Amino acid sequence: MTRKQKRMSVILAGLAFLAAATGLTFYALGQKASYFYMPADLAAASVPPGQRIRLGGLVEKGTIVRGQGATVAFSVTDEQKSVKVTYTGILPDLFREEQGVITEGAFGPDGVFVADSVLAKHDERYMPKEVADGLKAKGVWQESTN
Amino acid sequence: MVETGHFALVLAFALSLVQMLVPLVGARTGNQRLMAVGGPVTVTGFALTALSFAALASAYAGSDFSVASVWENSHSLQPMIYKITGTWGNHEGSMLLWVLILTFFGALVAVFGNNLPATLKANVLAVQGMIGAAFFLFILATSNPFTRLNPAPIEGRDLNPVLQDLGLAIHPPMLYLGYVGFSICFSFSVAALIEGRIDASWARWVRPWTLVAWMFLTGGIAMGSYWAYYELGWGGFWFWDPVENASFMPWLAGTALLHSAIVMEKRSALKIWTLLLAILTFSLSLLGTFLVRSGVLTSVHAFATDPARGVFILCILTLFIGGSLALFALRASRLTVGGLFHPISREGALVLNNLFLTTATATVLVGTLYPLALEALTGGKISVGAPFFDLTFGPLMLPLLAIVPFGPLLAWKRGDVIAASQRLMAAFALAIAAMLVTGLFIDGASVFAALGVGLAVWLVAGALTDLAVKSGVGSVAPAVMLRRFAGLPRSVFGTALAHLGLGLTMLGIVGTLCFGTEKILSMRPGETVELSGHTLRFEGLSPRKGPNFTEDRGRFLLISDGNEDGEITSAKRFYPVRQTVTTESGIRTLGLSQLYLSLGDENNDGSVVVRLWWKPLVTLIWGGGLVMMAGAAMSLLDRRLRVGAPARRRKPAAALASPT
Amino acid sequence: MLFWVIAAILTLGASLAVLLPLAGGMKGASPAGDHDLEVYRDQLSELDRDMARGLIQPGEAEEARAEIGRRILRLGTAERTVAANPGPSRSARLVASVAVLAVPLLSWGLYGVLGSPDLPSQPLAERLAKNPADSSVDELVARAEAHLAANPSDGKGWDILAPIYLRLQRFPDAVTAYRNAIRLDGDSAVRESGLGEAIASAAGGIVSADAQNAFEAALKLDPANAKANFYLAVGLAQEGKKADAVAAWQKMLGQLAPDSLWRSAVQQALSEAGEPAVASGTPANGPDAQQVEAARQMSPQDRQAMIETMVAGLDDRLKQNPHDEEGWMRLIRSYVVLGRADQAREALGRAVAAFGADSEQAKKFTAFAASLGVTATE
Repeated sequence: MTRKQKRMSVILAGLAFLAAATGLTFYALGQKASYFYMPADLAAASVPPGQRIRLGGLVEKGTIVRGQGATVAFSVTDEQKSVKVTYTGILPDLFREEQGVITEGAFGPDGVFVADSVLAKHDERYMPKEVADGLKAKGVWQESTN
Repeated sequence: MVETGHFALVLAFALSLVQMLVPLVGARTGNQRLMAVGGPVTVTGFALTALSFAALASAYAGSDFSVASVWENSHSLQPMIYKITGTWGNHEGSMLLWVLILTFFGALVAVFGNNLPATLKANVLAVQGMIGAAFFLFILATSNPFTRLNPAPIEGRDLNPVLQDLGLAIHPPMLYLGYVGFSICFSFSVAALIEGRIDASWARWVRPWTLVAWMFLTGGIAMGSYWAYYELGWGGFWFWDPVENASFMPWLAGTALLHSAIVMEKRSALKIWTLLLAILTFSLSLLGTFLVRSGVLTSVHAFATDPARGVFILCILTLFIGGSLALFALRASRLTVGGLFHPISREGALVLNNLFLTTATATVLVGTLYPLALEALTGGKISVGAPFFDLTFGPLMLPLLAIVPFGPLLAWKRGDVIAASQRLMAAFALAIAAMLVTGLFIDGASVFAALGVGLAVWLVAGALTDLAVKSGVGSVAPAVMLRRFAGLPRSVFGTALAHLGLGLTMLGIVGTLCFGTEKILSMRPGETVELSGHTLRFEGLSPRKGPNFTEDRGRFLLISDGNEDGEITSAKRFYPVRQTVTTESGIRTLGLSQLYLSLGDENNDGSVVVRLWWKPLVTLIWGGGLVMMAGAAMSLLDRRLRVGAPARRRKPAAALASPT
Repeated sequence: MLFWVIAAILTLGASLAVLLPLAGGMKGASPAGDHDLEVYRDQLSELDRDMARGLIQPGEAEEARAEIGRRILRLGTAERTVAANPGPSRSARLVASVAVLAVPLLSWGLYGVLGSPDLPSQPLAERLAKNPADSSVDELVARAEAHLAANPSDGKGWDILAPIYLRLQRFPDAVTAYRNAIRLDGDSAVRESGLGEAIASAAGGIVSADAQNAFEAALKLDPANAKANFYLAVGLAQEGKKADAVAAWQKMLGQLAPDSLWRSAVQQALSEAGEPAVASGTPANGPDAQQVEAARQMSPQDRQAMIETMVAGLDDRLKQNPHDEEGWMRLIRSYVVLGRADQAREALGRAVAAFGADSEQAKKFTAFAASLGVTATE
């Protein structure tokens, strides 16, 4: 093989890798990425049961019910609509009423959102960025000025 | 003292401007005096930055709340260790640490770079000066750690409780040593592009720096992973969080660089590719800094979000990545290409390694940036998590791991796969045996688990085979073999240790993911629970007061074979200053495995939610990281990495010195 | 002064780092090719070592040796002619002098903009160790806290600190301090009622069961404790038993001494409840127990001084941070209570200015001040 042919073969191998990786990436983005919704968005989006999504909003006041064992039920609201969520496990330390929260999971056939992870990451104002942006877009929440 | 630190920082900025311009002009015009400025200026700049950092650290240690960043991130009741580590537990201080390490590495080149060609050294220092100047300016303009408050508040706002941990003492400095270490490789590459030629000594310098940076980055990532594991209380060791990816991408690219630099050093081939890889690796480090520091991501790491900072870092990012790539496009064609090799050879294997690693880096990059790009373009929000990476990163990594043991056994230039395979027969048999044992004799083992264990054993056995073959096991007498083993170059041990560590990490991951068990339940005091053969009795909650927190401590008694075997405690801590609750997980190491428990909320009926995990072989995940670091350290000690200065220069000097 | 000396020394050092190499003698530098040659020699000797160890086959070694040899040969032909050192050209001299000048000018100029050279370091330990007369209220409190952290069983210390916390609006701290004082020095009506007030204030003014218990304990010790009586009535009002509350307040008016500080509070509560401030029961003859207790604990001068320090502190804080609505109202009220109408009026003016004359807050301030008998000077 000449130098040129060798270089071509390396480049071809590289391209093959790139093609395979691109294919995988597109497939995975289509299948495995979960979209973020607020409760009011759900009506328009019509998410089928079983599809993984992220649901964000505020934990509605007075809706936290601790059932048997480690299962907790609560509602996530954006002050327009609210969605019932159940979660089995340990809630994050920052989980409180009327604080922002992001849950990840899928809707069950009964319309209750079954979360397998609950996040309450926050900035100084106890608000996950996605939730803050969503609420701001809906005009529900204004950033305090001080 | 505080203002002295502030002044030193400003002075260091002024020197970095001199450092970036004067040696560069000197190298272009061939003026020795101008080039000679680079060394002393770099060293002085480092000394001033160190002084500045010391001033800030002493302000933190002495709770000087007249310094705004101390007031925001410290408290007089914090234990001394957290007061000091708090220096870099915030945006301003961590950026100062970043430039401290940058100037430190620059000073090392200035001091130990006497054997470099003068123009190369001048150009390298100038590029380091450019990076330094950009970040000094960033600090002074948007994140000055020495902003003062007058009148000074009497008490601070406390350090984020999650950061009040020994992890903060180790993780960020290590990670920065890694990130910033790649800046030297970057500077060497850009310097070579500026000069339009790659010296032979170039490769010899780039390779040890890559090793140093890679070693610290490995340690930083492993430490960060362990920290997240025990501190967050979720029991996970890797979350594919964008911030984690930000440090993982330079690691992947750096690993590729490490391997391509070997080819370049030994065979003078792949020069241009190595140069490009060095630029890309540091660019990914900068991208990581941008993602973490700009506030586009929300996480523990985004201490405060300020749009001005994000825009500033984005400008630095564009300038350096864009500038260096443009220079590459202009100049790369001038560089000479190196030696030839057959596809089946050590070089060929390393090229394959590079293909895999860079493609994997690209998938992680896409997974990390796609959600940001989508949100910026369409406003849609998605999250890309473990399922995505399992499907893209996984398939790319598995074949790479499978071919790792072949690489070191192939000869340079033209290798023999069949011979290498024959030497690996024992390792292969071992791996198959491990796979069968796992699949047949362990309950609940999936096919994937069996394959995973087999692959891990294959890596470990392959690394050992390499050592055995090179010391001549089976072909020479035992005494000769021992002598050969002891005389092997340290880089051979380095390679073997690094590959061995990779296998151990793999084993830890497979063990934890495939054989781990988990239980969530609510427990009342006195109740017992069993998990994978371990019995735990909940003894109850008791309050305790720490220096700057109060906690409810859940005590669990471990019962092994009917005997009490010590207590495991997990606590809910409340930090009143920040009104924050954190969970302290309870971990008990048994052999290589760990019993991990985490306390949840108290129910109204007095029971407490408890989550327990049995994590078999989990310590190997980070232990493997340590072995990889040891491998890098071993390689660094290798003789060939010490480059002598040209002898011709010394001779005339010696002749002059001795009068006839 | 010391700082400027250090700064000058640092600047000198930095300038020398630029200057010395520029002024230094010319070192003969070896051309880049020499360095390459050195590397290739190293590679050859490494090759020999590897072969001696049997790491590579003689054939491979020979091939590698040939390759390195070819590179050395190529080096000879590709060697660029290194330009003779052009000597100090004019442009080089220009660059050099700009660089030397830039260091002091840039650093002093930039520091002049960014730095605060007059502000000394203030480590906490040093601040707490200085003369109390020079300390701010906050520093005094911090000093007391440091003392109590070291001697947590000093009941007297907690007793002194508790009401100060209450005035500084650090209610949870006040609760802890009162609890500690009661635990260590036994209970008294003042401590119990203070505890009740702290609990209620921490809960945003709601008189909870805990607070109620504390007030009742205070009344057991001293049935005439004004604070306890007042807050228990507030609690009744919060429960919706307005009539009971009004009756209790009216009873208080009857019992309080004419110059009691509680009088205005009770009257205000009654007017908010929509009832005329009419005293019920028999008027008290002597000073009430509350006052006796207070007087016993603190001389009038001391008390006055303490209140004034608090008010001055509040005033200072508002100068730093004028957007504190609550703070302004407290300040105005404080000056009225201290009988300083001028300062109250001036505070009102500043409060209005801070929020703008047309703002909601300004209207609120004016109305509030008017209810206290203060009108803005037009």
